[in-house]
Amino acid sequence: MIEFLVKRFFWLLLTLWIVYTFSFFLMWKVAPEGANLSERKFPPEIQANLDRYYGLDKPLIERYFLQFGKALTLDFGPSMKLMDLHSSQLIRQGLPISISLGALALSFAMLLGFSTGIVSALWRQSLLDVGFRLLATLGIAVPNFVLAGFAIILFVFILKWFPAAGWGRPIDLVLPALCLAAPFAAYIARLTRTGMLEVLGQDYIRTAYAKGLMPRVVVLRHAFRGAILPVVSYLGPATAGILTGSLVLERIFFIPGLGTHFIEAITQKDHPVSLAVVMIYTLLLFTMNTLVDLSYGLIDPRVKLNK
Amino acid sequence: MTHTLRTFFPYVFPFLFVLAMLPVFQFSELPKADFTFTNGTEIESLDSAHVSGAPEGRIIDAMFEGLYRKLPDPEDPNKMLPVPAMATGYELSEDQRTYTFTIRKDAKWSDGSPVTAHDWVFSWQRFLHPETASKYSYQLWYLKNAQRYTGRKIEVGDRVEIERDDRPNPAQTYPRGTMLAGVVKAQEQLGTEDDPIYVYEVQLVAEQAGQPQWDQPGETQRFVMIPRFDERKHAEHAANLVRQVLPHFSEVGVYAEDDHTLVVTLENPTPYFLELVSFYPLYPVNQACVERHGYPDWTKTENVVNNGPYNMEFRRIRDRIRLRKNPEYWNSGEVSLEVIDALAVQSETTTLNMYMNGQVDWGTTVPTSIIPELIERDQEKLNQPGREKEQPDMRIEPMLTVYFYRVNTTKPPLDDARVRRALNLAIDKRAIVEFVTKAGQVPALGLVPPGLAKYEQQVSGDFNPEEARRLLAEAGFPGGKGMPRIRLVYNTLDAHRDIAEVIQQQWKRHLQVDAELVNQEWAMYLKRMTDLDFDVIRAGWIGDYPDPNTFLDMFVTDGENNQTGWSNAEYDQLIEEAMSESDEEKRMEMLEKAERILLEEMPILPIYFYVSQNIVRPYVKNFYPNLQDLHPLHILEIDEAQRDFILKAEGVR
Repeated sequence: MIEFLVKRFFWLLLTLWIVYTFSFFLMWKVAPEGANLSERKFPPEIQANLDRYYGLDKPLIERYFLQFGKALTLDFGPSMKLMDLHSSQLIRQGLPISISLGALALSFAMLLGFSTGIVSALWRQSLLDVGFRLLATLGIAVPNFVLAGFAIILFVFILKWFPAAGWGRPIDLVLPALCLAAPFAAYIARLTRTGMLEVLGQDYIRTAYAKGLMPRVVVLRHAFRGAILPVVSYLGPATAGILTGSLVLERIFFIPGLGTHFIEAITQKDHPVSLAVVMIYTLLLFTMNTLVDLSYGLIDPRVKLNK
Repeated sequence: MTHTLRTFFPYVFPFLFVLAMLPVFQFSELPKADFTFTNGTEIESLDSAHVSGAPEGRIIDAMFEGLYRKLPDPEDPNKMLPVPAMATGYELSEDQRTYTFTIRKDAKWSDGSPVTAHDWVFSWQRFLHPETASKYSYQLWYLKNAQRYTGRKIEVGDRVEIERDDRPNPAQTYPRGTMLAGVVKAQEQLGTEDDPIYVYEVQLVAEQAGQPQWDQPGETQRFVMIPRFDERKHAEHAANLVRQVLPHFSEVGVYAEDDHTLVVTLENPTPYFLELVSFYPLYPVNQACVERHGYPDWTKTENVVNNGPYNMEFRRIRDRIRLRKNPEYWNSGEVSLEVIDALAVQSETTTLNMYMNGQVDWGTTVPTSIIPELIERDQEKLNQPGREKEQPDMRIEPMLTVYFYRVNTTKPPLDDARVRRALNLAIDKRAIVEFVTKAGQVPALGLVPPGLAKYEQQVSGDFNPEEARRLLAEAGFPGGKGMPRIRLVYNTLDAHRDIAEVIQQQWKRHLQVDAELVNQEWAMYLKRMTDLDFDVIRAGWIGDYPDPNTFLDMFVTDGENNQTGWSNAEYDQLIEEAMSESDEEKRMEMLEKAERILLEEMPILPIYFYVSQNIVRPYVKNFYPNLQDLHPLHILEIDEAQRDFILKAEGVR
């Protein structure tokens, strides 16, 4: 296991370096002026001063080595658009918010997904099962920002349960987390249902029933454990997907998370911030996938990590 | 070990979630602000020397104060008037070039120190300093020699200030290193274009009490300034190296006669100078604060020292800035709202949602498509009992902003003014504002928006397809025959596309002229505009100050923002002369004449004038629409009884 982790760590470093280099050149090649781009042309004196201030008067390759050196110390430089702030301040304020939102959404997704999945599997082909499966298909098909629109009309303006947007109280999080969770919940429900159906037909379940165990114990203790293996392998990408997928929702619900900063940085060509967020997302994705690989070995003894 | 881990595994995930949720449960309920508004994008900076946008303007205007400040005219609140603020008044010299401002004696910074005339000398020097790289520094180039200072224009015989390379913090322009003063005897530029080395022979002068004694010349020394200094490459110059050589600041038209007298000398009589000093880039910053913390750290909540009606209580990035009334403000007795929240809401739909849900009291924009419904909603509410006389929520008013097309006048057939005029006459602008933009915009027949005092609006011909066809035939394209395709470039936005499509149809229908629509991403669009790589290109312009000059001086020959290739000697001369004309009426006549030339030659096709689209609860008092869309926060008041009534009537909260 140690060997596996060490190997993964080296791959991580290589991936981070490649992503950094690729993103750096892509961004600066496509928009060489960065956030300084403006419809209003400045007198040449001012333009020259601006270029000097942001170091844009140096050749790109020289800037790459300078900034890569700084990036190694986790310094991605000051934001070009929000000039008072450093990219690390944006990350420090935005990341915890996105993680909270993501964690809540993932909890919702698992809660909804597991429960409807199990119910669907136990009462196969019942009205409930068909209903849940229909909902699940809808959940996967409808993008979360469309869902958000409907949810706002229903819960904010008709039922008046939640605030329209904002951030600062736990209740502000519920609606966005539900919208964010919907497609993932749907997917988890389907995976759980398939997994349960497969496991329920196996010998050890019949043995458990034969031993005289209560159905509740059989389902939750024995069948569920075996059934969630596909779900666990899905959780890695799902976590990453939830954390990176909140971009548009954060904007709709006015949540100052990392996604909002990312969208703004990209549209405003604020390259230092974009780069910092890209690196964070890379790290998150990689870590989540590694954790999932690790968890296989823990859940299913047949999986060997070093092979 | 594996076994135990496996047993614990089901509990690992819930545990991680609880851990990740901790920040949520740490929230303390934020007390509600007295007034909440959406401020558009997150502000770029709190430093008046670094910004140029409207959201920044609203915050800086609340936290800082200039010599004058623009407030609604008591006689006609829809007009804004510069009124004394940090200054109690001014005296204007006979030649209208020297303003002597008297600074208010009771004005204080938020740290308790007095505001003095020296604050402006420092702030404006910093604002003009080339290393500050201020985008708006041209707003102060009306001062004598200010442009030379920013542009580092030095000639032999000029008085200069030399800054030795001994700054306490080399990354900060302030505090500066040791300063020397002298007169340039000789200068040369070495090195390459990209890596210049400036060499100056300067005869130094003695200084007494910080004042250079120009009549006491001393020894002559050699100084070298290298913007991109590299120890290995430039080792030979290290001994004579200085940090900065600039025209001496005493040559620039601003100085403090004493603590409460500020003397400002201008290049030309500038009738709108008071408008400029009440514009936020010219507001002062606190020298001690800037020098102690440096930029950008001085703008942090815990560091910032300001002189306006509000202090910043906290700032959450892309969420909100909370402002609290500044007890040190000289006029704080007149400030009614105690706590104000400025939300950085980007999405217009979200703005509207929060407004309808009672979470904000003022939204600076709404989704354009829904404006007709909002206007209807305002009509309907008048039928409800007790609301018959309520002000509308939706406040739509003309603004100092024009939407137009630039025409590339360097290439045939568009180098022919008749063709350009034909294209203009074939556009039905009324149809565009009625059926496309739909928010009460005003069709533009000229470049300068309506509503500017003393300026008579100039008009080109209104929609007239017959005249357009005649002009086109006269130019050699009868019935559009032989006329090449026109490339119409716009940047990616549905609204721009819709307008371009209508114009494309109108040209086709009325002139049989084909246009090809070219949609470009922002960066590419700007590049094509600069390179004149278009036939017709979309553009917009927001007036910096309420004077026609802010629109007209764009189109002087080779102006940075001309970008049409158009050039007219008479036009250039009129703009130039108007600049130094002290008789207001004559100056306006010159500008009117200049606009007539512009409209005769038509290097641009004006389309419409923008309107401001504020949505404001009627219980917010002292909110008046105006040309520049300025709404000072410190004069706003809330009618509590009316608020409770309205929110109850709408079933909010």
